[in-house]
Amino acid sequence: MWRQLRNRFGLPLTMAIVSLMGIWLIVMVLLPQWQMIDYSFHPSLLPAERGGAKDVWSLTNYATFFHNEIHLAIFFKTIWSSVLVTALTLIVSYPLAYYLAKVATPGQAALCLLLLIVPFWINEILRTFAWYIIFAFRGPLNELLFALGLIDRPIRFLNGDTGVLVGMVYAYILFMVFPLYNAIESLDTNQIRAARDLGAGWGRTHRRIVIPHAKPGIATGCIMTFMLAAGSYAVPALLGSPGSRWFTQIIYNWFFEGGDWNQGAAYAFLLLVLCIVFVTAIMRIFKVGLGDIAK
Amino acid sequence: MDGRVTLNQVAMRFGDFTAIQPTSLEIESGEFFSFLGPSGCGKTTLLNMISGFLTPSEGSVAIGGVDMTRVPVNRRPTAMIFQNLALFPLMSVYRNIEFGLEVRGIDRKQRRDKADELLDLVALSGSGDKPVAELSGGQKQRIAIARALAVEPRVLLLDEPLSALDLKLRQHMRTELKAIQRKTGITFIYITHDQGEALTMSDRVAVMCDGRIQQVADPMTLYRQPRTDFVAGFVGENNRFPGRVAAVDGGMVTLDAGLPAPLRGHADAASPLAPGDEATLYVRPEQWRVGSAGDSSLRFGGVVQAEHFEGAWLTLEIALDQGGTVRAHVPQALESAGIESQLAVGSPCRLDYSPRGALVLPGVERGRANEESVDVAATA
Ligand SMILES: Nc1ncnc2c1ncn2[C@@H]1O[C@H](COP(=O)(O)OP(=O)(O)O)[C@@H](O)[C@H]1O
Ligand SMILES: [Mg+2]
Repeated sequence: MWRQLRNRFGLPLTMAIVSLMGIWLIVMVLLPQWQMIDYSFHPSLLPAERGGAKDVWSLTNYATFFHNEIHLAIFFKTIWSSVLVTALTLIVSYPLAYYLAKVATPGQAALCLLLLIVPFWINEILRTFAWYIIFAFRGPLNELLFALGLIDRPIRFLNGDTGVLVGMVYAYILFMVFPLYNAIESLDTNQIRAARDLGAGWGRTHRRIVIPHAKPGIATGCIMTFMLAAGSYAVPALLGSPGSRWFTQIIYNWFFEGGDWNQGAAYAFLLLVLCIVFVTAIMRIFKVGLGDIAK
Repeated sequence: MDGRVTLNQVAMRFGDFTAIQPTSLEIESGEFFSFLGPSGCGKTTLLNMISGFLTPSEGSVAIGGVDMTRVPVNRRPTAMIFQNLALFPLMSVYRNIEFGLEVRGIDRKQRRDKADELLDLVALSGSGDKPVAELSGGQKQRIAIARALAVEPRVLLLDEPLSALDLKLRQHMRTELKAIQRKTGITFIYITHDQGEALTMSDRVAVMCDGRIQQVADPMTLYRQPRTDFVAGFVGENNRFPGRVAAVDGGMVTLDAGLPAPLRGHADAASPLAPGDEATLYVRPEQWRVGSAGDSSLRFGGVVQAEHFEGAWLTLEIALDQGGTVRAHVPQALESAGIESQLAVGSPCRLDYSPRGALVLPGVERGRANEESVDVAATA
């Protein structure tokens, strides 16, 4: 890469680019992370006590987590719900991406993409609020279901996890649709036709031809959606009930309500580790490398 | 196993554009049938209607006498060899060939036996475990054939399958395809823009132009008795002499084309001509006898404009004294060798043809862009 850059831009410019990239990585990514990890291994102290005798490395922040059953439960619930969100988003996005890539005419595809993207011009919080309104006890969704005769009394969507799940699928669908679309779009349509021609029904054609080809895209979409879901704050805060708290909300509380940054840092670090584990697992399951995902 | 294919007034329109004019045709079971025509004339569209990828705008397709209108692609007794082969790149050779059998729920052991048998047929035994990416162009071709044959289709549809291969391999594969067709007895419907392929392999050829079938005939008839101006120009080369019919006697027609001598040729029995009709006389390059400038037994004079050595023959472009250019082949057998020393570029020559080797068709086609045929005396 160094050589490619040098051939294209010449030595001085290349040095400038590479050092800027290096500085950016160190200052914006590595240092803050390091700072956070460092925080997480220290007890929470008054400013005066910092650097003093009490300022030692310790695992107490982590011990707190593992001894707090509620927090553990929320942690695992966050994992499980994020997996669920990822799976739901995949199920919703796959047919959409396939339609966009292989069925729709260019005009239809453009219109459909526009309809998908336009809501994302609005801030995530506002978009989530829209769902809050839709899901409200006396909101339009209940009215509609009632009018259709499907229910005889309003449902409390915002009570359990339904609101959070729907809100998140909606919030992150683009991050799933685009990688899928790119992957499916690059499949030679004749492959699909060949499979059909050899007698495969639609199910088998997708299972044996389209999905294997789209695997890197599926992996990328799943990783992005999972990380966004696991790290989401606005959606569970707005659409969730006290019973469906997200791990990010606990972290938030440590930082801004508990005032214990060290404890918060430990929790945040755990979330980071979780995401790394998930990414690795997905890459294993789909047998794809980092290079495939970066594509 | 009835592999008869019947097209019954089949037409295809894309919006306002008619890709296939209403067409009726019967392809016999076990026949090697080709559709020949220039790129964009609708060959692939026609094939897609037989395979089921496209639903005809009008008319119907029947295979083995059974109407296919409501039969989806995956249930038709056809298999297709795609222009780009469309092998499954993520699967091994075995898995490619076995795909259609797996779909049909045939067990592993039987699948493998069938695949081995087919690999034998296409002379690639032992390469079943290779990934398809490791195969050469010719090998991929054979695997595509094996994969299609595995499902025991009654009709095999081939969409210009040899176009990606180099010349030598292409010629070799022609022989091979023909041999496979004989061995299996399956109806082959072959699409090509290459007349050499169509003529060498096919039992019958349909020549197409602008979504319309121009003529259906066996290769020899197609070459010797083209029915339309398009076929005369597209299949083989032809020199055109547009003019007016001066006399008709028996099967022979005399044409006035503005040349010093009247042109004679035999008429197509199916398209009768009367004196005064507009008509065109076609002379193939190999029908010309070319001689030195002093040879007065030859009726026409001209000047050699260019020559192209083609191995077995020499192609001369000769400007006729009366205007217009003809292409003539001078065979390179030893007996006639030596004549070309007198036929250098720029030198005058004489030439003539035998009326039995010339054909007259009604009508004068003007302004057709077709590099394969030469319009002579266009000013006449
Ligand atoms: N899906 C389609 N929509 C619109 N026009 C098409 C479509 N498929 C083919 N055509 C047009 O129909 C004509 C015939 O195409 P095709 O059958 O592919 O020709 P060939 O195989 O003989 O080269 C072409 O002019 C092509 O542009
Ligand atoms: Mg084609």
